[in-house]
Amino acid sequence: MFKYTLQRLLYMIIVFFVITFMCFVLIRMLPLPALPPDDIHTEVIQMRREALGYNKPYLVQFGIFLRGIFTKFDWGLSEQLYTGRSVLTIFLEKLPATMIVNLYSILWTIPVGIALGIWAALKKNTWVDYLISTLTMVVISVPSFVYAFLVQYIFCFRLRLFPLIMKGGSDYFSMEMFKSMVPAILSLSFGVIAGFCRTTRAELTEVLTSEFMLLARTKGLTKAQATVRHALRNCFVVIVPGIFGEFIGILGGSLIIENIFAIPGVGGLTLNAIRSQDYNVFIMSTCFYTAIGLAASLVVDISYGFIDPRIRMGSKK
Amino acid sequence: MKKKALSLLLASAMVFSMAACGDNNGDSSGETKQSETKESADQSESGESANQNETGESGSSDNEGGPGYTITEFDPNATYTQSVALTSIPGNWNMHDYEDSASGNIFDYLVDGFYNLSYNDELHPKEGAEDWKSYIFLPGMAADYPTDVTAEVKAAHPDWIPASATEGYAWEIPLREDLFFDTGYHITADTYVQSMKYLLDQRLQNYRATDVYDGAYGIVGAEEYFKQGQINYIDNGNVGNPLESFVKGEDGTYTFEGNPVYVAVDFAIAQTGGNTLKDYVDAYGDAYFGMDRWEELVALMDDNGLAPLNDDTLAMVTDVTTTNPNWNETDGLSVPAYFVIAETMPDGISFEDTVGFYAKDEYTLVQVFKGGFDGFYLYSYAIKDSLVLVEPDVYESCLKQDESGAWYSTYMTNKETSPSYGAYSMTGYQTDKQITFAKNDKWFGWTEDLYHVYKDPNDGNVYRGNMTTNIDMQYVPEIATRRQMFLAGQITTFGLEESDYEQYGHSDYVWSYPSETAAGLWVTGNMNGLEAREAAADFDTTTQDTQTIGLVSFHKALAVSFDRQAFCDECHPAYAPGYGILGDQYIYDVEDGLFYRDTDQAKQALCDFYSVNVSQYGGDLDAAVDSITGYDLDAAKELYKAAFDESLSLGYITDADGDGICDQTITMIYASSAPADYVTRRINYLNKWISEAVVGTPFEGKLNVVESAPLGDSGWIDAYRNGSADMMIAGVGGSIYDPFSAMSLYCDPNQNLTANWYDPTTDMITLTVKGEEITMSVYDWYRAMNGSMVTVNGKDYSFGSTDVEPDVRMTILAALEGRMMSRYDILPMCNFGAKSLLSQKLFNVLDDYNPLFQSYGPRRYNYSDAEWEKYVEDQIAAHGQLQY
Repeated sequence: MFKYTLQRLLYMIIVFFVITFMCFVLIRMLPLPALPPDDIHTEVIQMRREALGYNKPYLVQFGIFLRGIFTKFDWGLSEQLYTGRSVLTIFLEKLPATMIVNLYSILWTIPVGIALGIWAALKKNTWVDYLISTLTMVVISVPSFVYAFLVQYIFCFRLRLFPLIMKGGSDYFSMEMFKSMVPAILSLSFGVIAGFCRTTRAELTEVLTSEFMLLARTKGLTKAQATVRHALRNCFVVIVPGIFGEFIGILGGSLIIENIFAIPGVGGLTLNAIRSQDYNVFIMSTCFYTAIGLAASLVVDISYGFIDPRIRMGSKK
Repeated sequence: MKKKALSLLLASAMVFSMAACGDNNGDSSGETKQSETKESADQSESGESANQNETGESGSSDNEGGPGYTITEFDPNATYTQSVALTSIPGNWNMHDYEDSASGNIFDYLVDGFYNLSYNDELHPKEGAEDWKSYIFLPGMAADYPTDVTAEVKAAHPDWIPASATEGYAWEIPLREDLFFDTGYHITADTYVQSMKYLLDQRLQNYRATDVYDGAYGIVGAEEYFKQGQINYIDNGNVGNPLESFVKGEDGTYTFEGNPVYVAVDFAIAQTGGNTLKDYVDAYGDAYFGMDRWEELVALMDDNGLAPLNDDTLAMVTDVTTTNPNWNETDGLSVPAYFVIAETMPDGISFEDTVGFYAKDEYTLVQVFKGGFDGFYLYSYAIKDSLVLVEPDVYESCLKQDESGAWYSTYMTNKETSPSYGAYSMTGYQTDKQITFAKNDKWFGWTEDLYHVYKDPNDGNVYRGNMTTNIDMQYVPEIATRRQMFLAGQITTFGLEESDYEQYGHSDYVWSYPSETAAGLWVTGNMNGLEAREAAADFDTTTQDTQTIGLVSFHKALAVSFDRQAFCDECHPAYAPGYGILGDQYIYDVEDGLFYRDTDQAKQALCDFYSVNVSQYGGDLDAAVDSITGYDLDAAKELYKAAFDESLSLGYITDADGDGICDQTITMIYASSAPADYVTRRINYLNKWISEAVVGTPFEGKLNVVESAPLGDSGWIDAYRNGSADMMIAGVGGSIYDPFSAMSLYCDPNQNLTANWYDPTTDMITLTVKGEEITMSVYDWYRAMNGSMVTVNGKDYSFGSTDVEPDVRMTILAALEGRMMSRYDILPMCNFGAKSLLSQKLFNVLDDYNPLFQSYGPRRYNYSDAEWEKYVEDQIAAHGQLQY
């Protein structure tokens, strides 16, 4: 297991490096925005591009980029979106808002989603199952921004239970801030709850009809004991990757939800960076998400072994 | 640049006039003017009565021995917060480096000018102008008005000022002695000089450096100082040196005034729209260019994408650009536009010896310009102030060098690096979220009287210009959220979207903001492009046709097919019908605020184009112009028949069965940058009105408009230009005080979007000017009207602002507008505009829109923040939301 983990780590670093290099070169190969004709500022723009090394060979540019990271952990400056500011600072400043809103969302949606799935599975083919399954289908079919508009209109505008937009400032753990985040948390939650509910119900329904469950019951375990100790554990082989997937989603943020509730997060940062050809912002966010994605896949793979002992990582037999 | 500079001044004026609350100064006598102020509020557009005086300690200033007016003071204990929802929020608002208007809107709160543009009121009268109808420049950071010191400076620095110049080039500006940054830094003339040095620091390559050295408004010597030791590449397409002006040296390469000349192979130039020739050749190849010698030319270019100009490279670039008619340069006249002159700027230049910007003493600053100015243009364009001044200590601490060795500055990128010398200090900044401001107590204007008060024309009271105590800007990109925030009383203005007009378009709280931009339906006349499309293998000429679209007779029919008012109603409710290619808001005389569209010449041009017989209206031009709708169904049908006949005779279309109906379907491609609701509405509108107009004509059921594939930000214009799209609706605006230069997009062959089929250098117009009949090309009239010297038949003509009376220029301008319209490539449709709701918390002092200020005068508050909170609670309890 240890050897397997080390091996995967090594591969991860190589893949990370290759992806970074590819993204760096590809984004820099895009033609720079055309200079506006007859604009007196074009000469300054050209001088600045020269100074920033945009006219140097790509490998030289990549070398300068790597030197900055390895010597000073300097990811460069934003050139278009936040001119003159450190992209690392910007990213770290914007990441918490996205993370916390999504984290709050996940913290309650996963237990609720799984619990509803379990309830539906245990009450299979009863009105409870039908109700939950129907609601799940409805909720999953509607995009989250629709809920966002509804939540905002009903709870914030009409009932005035919450602010229309997220509060400013960095006091992310204050009650006032939490209250302002509730509409966004709710909007993000419906789909996640439905997703986990559906997956859990489907898996658990299948597992509950397995022969080993019959064996467990014949050994004298109660239904609850058999479900929790054996059935659920088997279900988690499918559910856990989903949970990790959600955590990766946390960091990515949701552009539309963030726009609706004015959340100063990272949703859309990568897209904006590509649109405005802000190289350093793009590379910073790309590297971050690449690293998170690779790490998450490693964690998921390793977690299989803990959830289901029958799965052996790195075994050649 | 002009527009930006003026917008800065205007914005400063708006800050000044934003209606905020000043502190009670020491002169306050404690008298109250509650009744007057309440009446004023009651009479306001908002119609709401509660105001600061009901709860606050209103007072007045009785300036004994002062100017003789009494200030109605605002409640000193109340706060008045302006809450704004931004649709874009800048990450940098450094005045040396900002690139967009969003940034400018931020630093406007933090800066002040030497002189501020203000309304002329009873306290600040302007000779010959009705109060509140014109403008006046009032000293701000300057202690007094500037003094012309041209002669004095010329004596000391003869090389700075032309020998013939006697006035207007050098100005001495006396500064107030009580100027401070909110950091406590004392501002003197030296602070300005130091700031200018930073702005022109070559290491920093500040984006706004060009703004202080470019053109006649530039500071003398600033460009030389900024560019010293560098190679300055001059785009010959911009300066227009002909081929004959280049001198061939012994080595076979050409020079211009001793500087080497290059062919711009992979170097961005104006001739290729800011892209490079290589970009175009790589993209289009032999479809547009001669490719025989292209590779040879590319092989000769250096790292900068330039190839030395010699006979060989000249032949190569000529071959590339002139052999293929699709590029439309077969006459070879445009070849010099592909050249670049490399001028090496002298090195070792000192600021003090070179730049006409220096401190005469601690509180006197001298600025020397490349041109001579006075009045409006001096204050609004020439004098350099708010773009320049920075807090030296903070600025120094913000200078850094990145990994590639390039210098950059973090000045004005967060609260800590944003020192203020304006009315407000930045109190908070969160990236992509919020910016907050509060009163800057170190700003002199909070206690200054004369230049920071106004007399309300409604109640006759004198108020301080600034009533706002706090500003809260939130980044709210989603329109639905902004709308709900407004209806919940959380923001003070809300810009209406098309979908809001039905509900709020006629609200008592809606305010219109007309723009100078006029939009027309541009229809192609690019026969080469249309023929190329018909030559495609999949184009069936028996069932389809495009060539008819290029006929002027067809354009004429289109021109009278559309009801302009219906266009605005159906597509853009905030727009107004437009009948000329120049917008109605263009001002040709800034001093007196006179509109071009109000001149007899402009009215006559419209009447001529729309065939309105003025004599039918008793010679009343206004009545004649008012009768214009641009829509004539009967005429349209006749014109479609005429177009059919012409197209048939040219063989573009057929009528095989002789039923008088065109055999072909004509599908017109509407150039679209990206799918959008408004584009769909426009296309639906065009189809609807064209379909109606062609009923009973040979084109009945045969014409339709379709949207192009998404063509991107500039691609849609290129598509129209090169003939791959047939029509577009595009607005032309800018330079609201200069309608003469606004004609460049029509009359300058380098900027003309129809240059592929129209040549303004050969289209001749004959006009009688001062009794002399003069014939010259459209381009030459345009140049002469803008002050260039044009030689015709050996005689020089110039009709710039200093050369002839405005009436002569109006005659030329109207003739050019009339000529452009009579080409029928651009069919006037509308004037742009916007509407927005103003919160009941505030009101505009004036009812009439002033295009010079682009506002309705100062704003005042009906409610303090505390009162507003209670009012909103009550309204929501009663109605569920605020009622607009």
